[in-house]
Amino acid sequence: MEFTEKIPITIEAQLKEQPLFYAATDLMNDGQFGKQWLILTRTEVAIWAEDGNLTSSLPLSDITDARVAGGVGGGTLIADTKRGPVIVLRYTAALTSIFGHVAKLIGALAKGEELPTASEKDFPRLCPKCRTPLSHDSLACPVCKNNGKVLLRMLSYAKPYRKQMIAAAIMLILTTLIELIPPYLTKRLVDDVLTPKDMGSALLWIVVGLAATSVVLTGMQIVRGLIGVWIGSKLMGDLRRDVYQSLMRLSLSFFDRRQSSQFIGRVNSDSEAMRQFMTDGVIWVSGEFLRVVAIAIIMFSLDWKLTLLALLPTPLMIIMSSLLWPKMGRLWYQQWRSVFRLNSIVGDSLQGIRVVKAFGQESAETSRYSASNRDLIKSDIRVQGIWQGVFPIFSLIAGAGTLLIWFYGGRNVLNDGMSIGTLIAMITYLGMLLGPLQWVSQMLNWASHAISAADRVFEIMDTPADVPDTVNPANIGRVKGDVEFKQVTYGYEKHHPVLKGISLNVKAGEMIGLVGHSGAGKSTFINMICRFYDSDEGTITIDGNDIRTISQNDLRQQIGVVLQETFLFDGTIAENIAYSKPDATELDVMRAAKIANAHDFIVQLPDGYDTRVGERGHKLSGGERQRVAIARAIIHDPRILILDEATASVDTVTERLIQEAISRLVKGRTTFAIAHRLSTLRNADRLVVLDHGKIVEVGTHEELLQAEGAYFKLVEAQKELSQIKGVESA
Amino acid sequence: MNELEVKEVQEEQPAELAEKDPFEIHLLEPERISFSRSSGGVFQAVIEGKAYDEIVLFRVFPFRYTTQFISVRNPKNEEIGIVRDISLLDRESRTEIEKELQLRYFLPIVTRIESVKQKADLWIWELGTNLGDTRIVMRNLHEFMQFPGNNRVILTDMNGKRCEIRDYEQLDSHSKRQLRDVM
Ligand SMILES: Nc1ncnc2c1ncn2[C@@H]1O[C@H](COP(=O)(O)OP(=O)(O)OP(=O)(O)O)[C@@H](O)[C@H]1O
Ligand SMILES: [Mg+2]
Repeated sequence: MEFTEKIPITIEAQLKEQPLFYAATDLMNDGQFGKQWLILTRTEVAIWAEDGNLTSSLPLSDITDARVAGGVGGGTLIADTKRGPVIVLRYTAALTSIFGHVAKLIGALAKGEELPTASEKDFPRLCPKCRTPLSHDSLACPVCKNNGKVLLRMLSYAKPYRKQMIAAAIMLILTTLIELIPPYLTKRLVDDVLTPKDMGSALLWIVVGLAATSVVLTGMQIVRGLIGVWIGSKLMGDLRRDVYQSLMRLSLSFFDRRQSSQFIGRVNSDSEAMRQFMTDGVIWVSGEFLRVVAIAIIMFSLDWKLTLLALLPTPLMIIMSSLLWPKMGRLWYQQWRSVFRLNSIVGDSLQGIRVVKAFGQESAETSRYSASNRDLIKSDIRVQGIWQGVFPIFSLIAGAGTLLIWFYGGRNVLNDGMSIGTLIAMITYLGMLLGPLQWVSQMLNWASHAISAADRVFEIMDTPADVPDTVNPANIGRVKGDVEFKQVTYGYEKHHPVLKGISLNVKAGEMIGLVGHSGAGKSTFINMICRFYDSDEGTITIDGNDIRTISQNDLRQQIGVVLQETFLFDGTIAENIAYSKPDATELDVMRAAKIANAHDFIVQLPDGYDTRVGERGHKLSGGERQRVAIARAIIHDPRILILDEATASVDTVTERLIQEAISRLVKGRTTFAIAHRLSTLRNADRLVVLDHGKIVEVGTHEELLQAEGAYFKLVEAQKELSQIKGVESA
Repeated sequence: MNELEVKEVQEEQPAELAEKDPFEIHLLEPERISFSRSSGGVFQAVIEGKAYDEIVLFRVFPFRYTTQFISVRNPKNEEIGIVRDISLLDRESRTEIEKELQLRYFLPIVTRIESVKQKADLWIWELGTNLGDTRIVMRNLHEFMQFPGNNRVILTDMNGKRCEIRDYEQLDSHSKRQLRDVM
């Protein structure tokens, strides 16, 4: 508990008993921000003000139970007493989990039950230094960490290409030095040849020298450019691969909350920004730095007084740059956000293009797009505008330096204090020097652009998977298929459980039918078996192994799923069927399709098994798609089969066929099937009725009918419905 | 946030509504409801002659209407009805319902933006609100700032805490300057 706070001494001194548990809340009871302490002992629940005054206390003997009422952005801890419910304290959302635990603790104390132990996840963790809330798996505090680390981490991507980078750097040093030769040669030309009008061999040699340097320079620039491109592309590839890998590693809950199209931009443009910085940026920056130093040395040795004069405006430029750069950073981010919004709209409406067209909303979508487009135009203009506005000013200031040299240098030449050649060389060198200085701002921009891109990229990489693999996964081999739920509770949002205390023991080879109202938690139930999410409480075991101790790969190897939303990948039908078993033979694929009753319709397609089903399989009908998905599950040959509404969108004849297929398939496999059409579950060994996240009934079809409980009602309701419609009986 | 969206009409209606059309939204008449608070601080109501010793409120359109369209539910989450506009209620009920909404929808109103700083990949807002000073930490701006329109801004903390800027045009010039940089 090093991350939680200690009770203030003023309060601790007054305590008569050793506290069982304590926690600080961040709200006063009237809803104002402020700090109060809840201190729980065996006899009472007390609330203390931060300054050590007792605010209220409730004897435990009065309390019958405790619970939290979650609001939005915060919540309330309520104790049920013999005189009715009492509000103990309020807190903001950051403390939801800890007071959820407190409620359970008080409840258990009041009822004399065994006290629940707090898991590490229940405690909000704060950075010991700056008190910023920390996320669960990261130890590093994001506030205390600095930009330098991000830079270093970014540069670590360049490590594998160290040799090439060094080669590029050497090239760079050489080109930089060679670039400095021509002005010097010009000086000699003016001073030794032109001014004395001395037509010796010198003129020829100097011109040859000038020609040679430009040839060498060009050659080296080409080589350096090629190396740069090579490193850049490789780096970019590495980055993209890593981002994508991290995306694949993340748990479903990460994607539940985000729009998937936003990641397309992240994978591509953010890694591009990082690449640009690392190759162009780093090489360019170090090159320019070198050049500035070299030129400064030459200039000082030519005429130090004049040089100082010429450099007079530079501090001004540096100050301007540094004022500008934070502003530019924010503007860049704004522009990025506009692009991001625009991309989301495109992604969104294209993914739902069928709905858009079905409701005739093309023009509404277009205007939604236009609005965002206008935003982007605006921020584009602003970013580019500042750029275009500031750049000439930099040139102007830089120009002032040149003017000073012309004036004072010119006077020196007239006084014979300096040769014309030196003056021309000074002017040329100064031009070369001011170039990079003007670009200081650009450089900083690049850096800030890249750092924010890197932040976004590393954010994805650093997001801990909510469903982590254990370090030493148990080797389970091929399982028998016993599945047991022990008191499983889970909510997509912590304070809002969707499954509540589910316990169920399923023998290997058993077929379980899950029924219940829409939203009862059936799909959630099977999500838990697949371990798409981890339970908040309780455990799920397969053959007696907690599924958390099994590697997710191994686990999913054992499980075949046909999900409620059938998703087919862009590819042929054959590829889709063989998705989980790429080495499947053509015969395997056909056999699986045959079992799923898909073979016949596939054969009749013009392109047969090679029909491209395109994005999401839109070329197939709903029922056809489902049968392809069933074939995909079959070829996987799983020990545990999960069918979520696998036959929802097929006609009754096809359903019967699929059912036969399934009954062949389920032999010897543990099966969980969900169906709203109860007749589908005829073959189930046991039916489990879920209602509001709880199991209300378990038994065979006959048993449950006899019990005349929830299942009976569902069956009756369906009978009624089909009588109205005058079709099949349930 | 999803849980706040308009709930579909429940399949099981509370008994007193059973005879009415179960698919009709039941608007409560202001004269026939009164809200109060128990000695334990719990929000209670007498609605159409029936007393409820615990009541839960939901804003149906939490972003668009903060004081209109309030869904009144029992702790079992069954809708008793909808209050169209709380300004039509009697004085005591109105104060209580306002207070309860404020507590349930913990959404302090920003009165001053002290500073917005970017540190590494975090944006740290130091804010003054009607409920005291607070700090909001965001991972980024594009996911944690929302603009429901009318110059309103909703700021969400990494941990789910939220603050609202009612109208950024009304803020003092220092705050506006802080905000302009990030909008
Ligand atoms: N990804 C999610 N994030 C947040 N809440 C979710 C998510 N998926 C489901 N829920 C919520 O969990 C509850 C149970 O959903 P679930 O999908 O398990 O229902 P179901 O029994 O399969 O219903 P149906 O028969 O309609 O498929 C619902 O209230 C739903 O809103
Ligand atoms: Mg479902």
